[in-house]
Amino acid sequence: MQRRRLLTLSASAVVLGAVPRLAFAQDVKGEPAQVVSQFAQIGIVQVLQANIPKQQKADRFRVLFKQFFDIPAIARFTLGRFWKMAQPDEQTKFLAGFEDVIVYTWTRRFSEYNGQTLQVQSTAPDGNDGALVSSTIIGKDVQPINVAWRLRKREDGWRVVDVIVEGISMAVTYRQEYAAILNQQGGMPGLVTQIQSQAADLAKQANAS
Amino acid sequence: MHDTTSNRRTVVRGALLALGLLTLAGCATPPSASDPAAVAAFNETNDRLEPLNRTMFKLDQGLDAALIRPVAWSYNKTVPDVARKRVSHVLDNVISPVTFINDLLQGEGRRAAQTFWRLVVNTTVGLGGMFDVADSAGVPQHTEDFGQTLAVWGVGDGTYLYLPLLGPSSIRDGIGLGVDAFGFDPIAWYSYNPHNMQWVQYAQLGAELIDAKANIMQTQDELKKSSIDYYAALRSAYRQYRAKEIRNGAPLPPSALPNMDSEGDPFAEEPATKSPK
Repeated sequence: MQRRRLLTLSASAVVLGAVPRLAFAQDVKGEPAQVVSQFAQIGIVQVLQANIPKQQKADRFRVLFKQFFDIPAIARFTLGRFWKMAQPDEQTKFLAGFEDVIVYTWTRRFSEYNGQTLQVQSTAPDGNDGALVSSTIIGKDVQPINVAWRLRKREDGWRVVDVIVEGISMAVTYRQEYAAILNQQGGMPGLVTQIQSQAADLAKQANAS
Repeated sequence: MHDTTSNRRTVVRGALLALGLLTLAGCATPPSASDPAAVAAFNETNDRLEPLNRTMFKLDQGLDAALIRPVAWSYNKTVPDVARKRVSHVLDNVISPVTFINDLLQGEGRRAAQTFWRLVVNTTVGLGGMFDVADSAGVPQHTEDFGQTLAVWGVGDGTYLYLPLLGPSSIRDGIGLGVDAFGFDPIAWYSYNPHNMQWVQYAQLGAELIDAKANIMQTQDELKKSSIDYYAALRSAYRQYRAKEIRNGAPLPPSALPNMDSEGDPFAEEPATKSPK
């Protein structure tokens, strides 16, 4: 299945006209490639290009991420075998901290948005009844960046579970980092404390800058 | 001439000896064999020199903050983007014979021909490599090194290695670095053999360090900000990036991604054992 979809600014403008502002929290529909395109479209138009205060951008990002990403599944993956070993309240606290870290990290990354567009190229089947969507971020005067999206089908539609930028998987990198902390710095209580303080730092920076 | 050759041997021998001694001093303690999951995790991390590597990393971070970063920062601030690009291109062009030799060693005739053609065109039409004309003509740059060649030949990466100034590496890639720098780099041959002017190679290395730092600074900062254990995050990212270089940039095959195992889909919707809410 070959799909080519270029998100040009003019296309975005059409979307901007078509999507009413209050429809921000909408259902995720369609095939994996469409879901990825939709995520990029809404992200660009209603968050990155929107003329709103920083805090509101972060809030919108959070809604967007929770809609398109299965954050709890990613969080569980990053802990691997340690997830089941953790206490229920540790799981809850870790999940909340991880969600904050993801939201603030991506809000900051995208704060340098400079008109880039996402071109979705193709969809391949992924090992576990999932889908792997290949795409390229195209910007002015910079090398194109290859981004692959791993998706899983849930009852109410496809959800992103990993983003692989130039061969580097977000989920795998977090998993291997957290494994180091869990093994060396006090197991689950240590990781929960550290992720909470990181989330607090990121929140402070996001509101300050 | 004899002297310089033996000089180089002494340098390499000394470096290997120092590495060996440090290795003995900095080994990580493997988990007990009775915990297979912990053993599997230890093998996946493949950082048998972790205590030593973390020390080197700390040292490097200090060196980075005190020297490399300020220099790279001033370089970025004072030298215009266009000029920095010219410098990058010249350095890339000068080092491209290393890529050429490794293309050949990997049996990549087509890529070797591309590298050779790029060297000729960029050195002449591109005014000594300042302009990447070959890229504009549709032959983009690629790089190879002896670490990648060894990987293509089936050599595993040994274990992770963090080198001060040079950053994340592995035993295999570290050896590759030495072979490239002393064996394949024409600048090394030029500066050692007929002229005994090692400073040329040092100057090249210095310029490469600053150029690389100036280019990579932002990405490094980004990873640092988004991680708790920057050392571990960098180790993971480096490994994945290296794997992509060895694949010559081909997309990651889904089979190489974390997939279904005895525990089910690692990205399953519900955890295997439900936690009380």
